[in-house]
Amino acid sequence: MFPDLAHFALAILQAILVLLAAPLVSGMSRVIRAKMHTRQGPGLLQDYRDLVKLMQRQDVWPPDAGWVFRAMPVILMATLLVIATGIPMFTRFSPNSVCGDLITTIYLFALARFFLGLSGIDSGSSYAGIGSSRELTVGVLVEPTMLLSLFVAALLAGSTDLGTISSAIAAGRCHSIMAAVIAGVAFAFAIYVELGVLPYDMAEAEQELQEGPLTEYSGRSLAILKWSLALKQTIVVGWFIGLFLPFGAAVSLSPAALVLGFLAFAAKLLVIFAVVGVVSNSVARTRFRFMPRHSWAGVGVASLAFVFYLVGL
Amino acid sequence: MSAAVHPFWLDPMQMLLVSVGVFLLGGLASLLLGGRERAAIRVSGVAGIVGALAGLWSGCRSLVGPVHGFDIASPFPFAHFVLRLDPFSGLLVAVISLLALVTAIYSFAYVREYIGRGVGPMGFFLNFFVAAMLLVVTSDNAFWFIVFFEMMSLASYFLVIFDQNQEAVSAGFLYFVVAHAGSVAIMAAFFLMANVTGSFDFATFRVATIPSPVNSIVFVLAFLGFGAKAGIIPLHIWLPRAHPAAPSHASALMSGVMIKIGVFGIVKVGVDLLGASNGELWWGLWVLFFGAISSVLGVVYALAEHDIKKLLAYHSVENIGIILLGVGVGMIGLAIGSPVLAVLGFMGGFYHLLNHAVFKGLLFLGAGSVIYRLHTKDMEKMGGLARAMPWTALSFLIGALAISAIPPLNGFVSEWYTYQALFAAALSDSWAARIATPIAAVMLALTGALAVMCFVKAYGVIFSGPSRNPHMAEIREVPRPMVVGMALLAAACVALGLAAPIVAPIMGKIAAATAGVPQITLASGIMLIPGNAHQAVLSTPLVAILLLAMAVLPLVLKAALTGTGRPASRRGAAPWAAGYLPDSHMPVTAASFAQPIRMFFRPLYSMRNDLSRGWVWLACAFEGFVAWARRTEPRWDNEIIAPVVDGTENVGRRLQAIQGGDFRIYCLYIVVALVVLLALAVR
Repeated sequence: MFPDLAHFALAILQAILVLLAAPLVSGMSRVIRAKMHTRQGPGLLQDYRDLVKLMQRQDVWPPDAGWVFRAMPVILMATLLVIATGIPMFTRFSPNSVCGDLITTIYLFALARFFLGLSGIDSGSSYAGIGSSRELTVGVLVEPTMLLSLFVAALLAGSTDLGTISSAIAAGRCHSIMAAVIAGVAFAFAIYVELGVLPYDMAEAEQELQEGPLTEYSGRSLAILKWSLALKQTIVVGWFIGLFLPFGAAVSLSPAALVLGFLAFAAKLLVIFAVVGVVSNSVARTRFRFMPRHSWAGVGVASLAFVFYLVGL
Repeated sequence: MSAAVHPFWLDPMQMLLVSVGVFLLGGLASLLLGGRERAAIRVSGVAGIVGALAGLWSGCRSLVGPVHGFDIASPFPFAHFVLRLDPFSGLLVAVISLLALVTAIYSFAYVREYIGRGVGPMGFFLNFFVAAMLLVVTSDNAFWFIVFFEMMSLASYFLVIFDQNQEAVSAGFLYFVVAHAGSVAIMAAFFLMANVTGSFDFATFRVATIPSPVNSIVFVLAFLGFGAKAGIIPLHIWLPRAHPAAPSHASALMSGVMIKIGVFGIVKVGVDLLGASNGELWWGLWVLFFGAISSVLGVVYALAEHDIKKLLAYHSVENIGIILLGVGVGMIGLAIGSPVLAVLGFMGGFYHLLNHAVFKGLLFLGAGSVIYRLHTKDMEKMGGLARAMPWTALSFLIGALAISAIPPLNGFVSEWYTYQALFAAALSDSWAARIATPIAAVMLALTGALAVMCFVKAYGVIFSGPSRNPHMAEIREVPRPMVVGMALLAAACVALGLAAPIVAPIMGKIAAATAGVPQITLASGIMLIPGNAHQAVLSTPLVAILLLAMAVLPLVLKAALTGTGRPASRRGAAPWAAGYLPDSHMPVTAASFAQPIRMFFRPLYSMRNDLSRGWVWLACAFEGFVAWARRTEPRWDNEIIAPVVDGTENVGRRLQAIQGGDFRIYCLYIVVALVVLLALAVR
């Protein structure tokens, strides 16, 4: 259905709320890391302060950079915000279903990745170039797992609309619970890789590549870029929650249901990021050349979900 | 011939004949003007524009309209010259004409590069090539189809070898061999059908019921023959060598439309001509299988290339694969009796056929513009061209985004419909389809991710970052006709994406008419719908509006939080290189950017080498045959003709002994002869 005004307002509200919450989520990771290192560490709001501080600083471009380099942070954030309007997060339906199809969402992420990768080459820096090559390679390796697990979920719901999948899984309206669970596991793996945290911190590996595509950014552009990357992490986890953990989400547009749905979403988000924080701080980086072994394992799990779907267990 | 719709306007079929006539005349005029090269360029270009406009009008008019026919007796009693414009061939006519129009505009400036190397013949072959393609897609008789198919192959062969260097000639030879191997398979398929029906007319093929094993043999032969033309893997080996060798506007036509005639042929035979004898399920699965293989391998091989035109040629293999995924689902839909699936699959394939023609044409013209200025096809020698050639760069970027299926551009819309077709097939009752189509969807997703990487590399290494070319200071934007040609196609990429709610139902009508099933809902308002709205909805105009609107937010954030005092931004010194002095060898190159993929997909590359070894073996065998023939031919001379000639000469020489030159001796001969004759007569 074409979204009416109420749905549309919810979509915009959702995108803005996620944008505002993103630095909190990334700040939480830093707090958890500090706690695991048994050091004092920054406060929960440190990332907001960092963003404001960076915004005051001068933007310095490399001499060979063109308009792609300069426009990329804005394009990245705009694309991620559009994705955020279509994903069911607080609700079991997509607030903006015409952008909330699983194929559209995957390809909007590709738009973001296209410009992120291109900016690395455009900067003229060798670190940024290698970082963008890795960013795109990881995208290639994780794509089959992501699509197959989502495809199985979509087949269970009979629709590629994210909202329909969400409500089908929430209501248990699918003929194979096992397939849904295994698809959820495979999708969780794909999402984890997309987060870009250890052990799959490939493109922005600080110690290896000087933060990859971010190397040459500074000042306001770096602020928007860092904010966008935190936003991306929040959105992909929100995507997982919306599809495979839609419990507690609102089924209607009534204010009470929406508030409850929002609270449930916030709680799930915090739990997942706490888990991610603990995992990422207790492992070492995978060597880049061994990445395919991990991604093939992901494809294997997703294929298992597909087999379960076919036999209908 | 049906009557004209309006006394002034011609009907689509008459317009098509006008278009073909203009192309043929333009080609001949260009050839005759051979010596006056600038005039030849102008004549060939103007004829191209006029012919293409007529063709475009004819094609667009027949997309939704009734079928138009044309039938006159030809010199051959067994084959009437029959043309037929149905919606599907109308689509092909429109696509061919669109690309012909743009390349004709582009050629005004581009062909000047070739002055002194025979631009007259180039205009001749190019115009005949377009005319032959227009006739192939509309001819309705097997004999004439083959004639025009050969004419198309020959004209394009001469364009491939136009540069006359070693590489072009050997690429042309391989193309020639593969094209003719394909023609033989197509001829065999038509002969088998003619054998059953007793006629070469497609009209009789269409209604005839061809018995079971024969129809499958016909389909497989046609699939292989047209597949060789389309460049599906493993019959693709000529494509990445032949397309780059031709002049760039000819490459745009070959990659943009000629290989589509391969797809056209597969659909024509598999759906239209064999329609009455009910296709089998495995035909669709077979097409799906080759489509999936071609799409993934095409893009994997493209990634490893650093020759810009070879990279684009491999992408044609990939996109043919994507089109075949849609066509495969359509054929599965027909076989299992699901009209929704049939229309959805075919319309996804046809939409992608149109889109690929537009963006691949654009990318080849962009590559041509870069080569026009830099005189090299090697991407490692480019870099930073966006500053010198901003319009070329912007057009190429739009083409790169479109071919990577980035929303809201046209490539995304057709791939979205293809995904929806695969999804609908995965929900069908057929077990084979339920297993095969999700795997094909995964292949398509992998293809999409690889295409993004490949075009980030292509655009980035050519247009972004530091320049690696020593003559950078002299490089400037290409002449206006070339910019206009590219801009038209770039605008078409955007328009076909944003206006998808208008285009999709037209494609649906073509698909429904081709498959002979009722039309389904494909759009409503500004929404796209794959048959039913429960399955999914999409609105590319809304995506575009939202993308623009959301871009305001970061700009506002920037403006609101910026500090005061110093200027907000400035251009700095060299990029950070961990303390070393940066030099031009440090940034990524085409090879280093794709290195991870080459490492991770190594088995696929070694498979290509094995595959091409097979074809090289065939080409070697053919060359060996030619060499043997060359050796054998003098043997005939030496051993049979030469002895006879020698013997005659010997006899002559001996006879010279009796030629004294003195007339008295000749008188004596006459007397002796008379005496001998008298003696014989008396006895």
